[in-house]
Amino acid sequence: MIEQPSSFDDRIESLLRDAQYLDHPLRKALAQLWAQDRERLERLERISLIADGYHRIAIDGAKSINQRYNQHLRRLEKAVRISDGYQQMMRELCAKLEAAAHTDQLTGLANRRLAFKRLGEEAKRTNRHHQPLALALLDIDHFKRVNDRFGHYTGDEVLVSFAQAIRNGLREYDLCARWGGEEFLILLPNTAAAAAVAVLHRLQEHIRALPLAPKGQTLSMTASIGIAMYRAGEDISDTISRADDALIAAKRRGRDCCVSA
Amino acid sequence: MTDLIIPGTQSVPDVLGDWQAGILAMNGDSYPENAFSLFDQIIKWVEKYLAADSRALSLELRLIYLNTSSVRAMMDIFDLLETAAAGGRRVAVNWYFDSANERVGELAAEFKEDYTFPFHILPVD
Repeated sequence: MIEQPSSFDDRIESLLRDAQYLDHPLRKALAQLWAQDRERLERLERISLIADGYHRIAIDGAKSINQRYNQHLRRLEKAVRISDGYQQMMRELCAKLEAAAHTDQLTGLANRRLAFKRLGEEAKRTNRHHQPLALALLDIDHFKRVNDRFGHYTGDEVLVSFAQAIRNGLREYDLCARWGGEEFLILLPNTAAAAAVAVLHRLQEHIRALPLAPKGQTLSMTASIGIAMYRAGEDISDTISRADDALIAAKRRGRDCCVSA
Repeated sequence: MTDLIIPGTQSVPDVLGDWQAGILAMNGDSYPENAFSLFDQIIKWVEKYLAADSRALSLELRLIYLNTSSVRAMMDIFDLLETAAAGGRRVAVNWYFDSANERVGELAAEFKEDYTFPFHILPVD
């Protein structure tokens, strides 16, 4: 049976204290051995204590570095997330501004700026693929009378109805832009002269049948149209100019008709 | 003691630190060329104010766009407020935004999370 350390210690100490062994030859050696053992034990305990201390410092240090690192990481992630949000906001704003810069505010149609951009693109495509490109200028007949009779607010409403009618009368890939006050530019890509005339005649019929009733009064409107075909390599402004001449000719011919340049 | 006045430009917000009133107001966009020099003054003013006495501090913000450096700097300022609040100081943020631009309010809310002091996000018509 193994003796408990404390009772073993007690036994050694009582043996050393015992008077009958005082002159025993082994007593001195035992006393020395005992003292040495005590000293070693004490040193061992001190070393473990110091080592544990260092260990604890290292662990605490690593913990705090880890904690600070995680804290910084969270902050950084937050800053990045918010910053991305602001960037997204700017992009949305940019898209809105771009749309606004290209849209006629009243009618929602493309404005002159977008029309010019599309004209340039379509002219280039036409030159590349040798496809016909038709351009028309449409002007509402006697629009001034609407303004004079019903006021500008009603005039604007009529313009909006007109814009819708034109847009609905065209194909998806055709462009309709508000060119001026009551003047619209229509671009018919990949459309030969005869087909363009057919599309625009149909559009004129739409316009005549447009159910306009400003302030409860029935109003019948017509439009004059000048058509020009784009000539390969020419400046698009020359095409516009010929369409404009054709439009003037249509007006002179008594309005409500199509004239091709 | 000393007021902080930074006149705004297109890329720098209007900043007014009113020492007497205990108000730091910032209005406009913030994407300065040198964000450090701009926000260093602001952060120093806040630190000085918080160290000087025990009066309340209120941030009145009408900030719209912030670039990344400005986002970071604002977080630094809010951290100062959080520390002060933990020490019992009365601090608050009132962030006003145009109700037509909800995004600004949403981003202010992103700033707000993690902070425990009063942080109000207020739509303005």
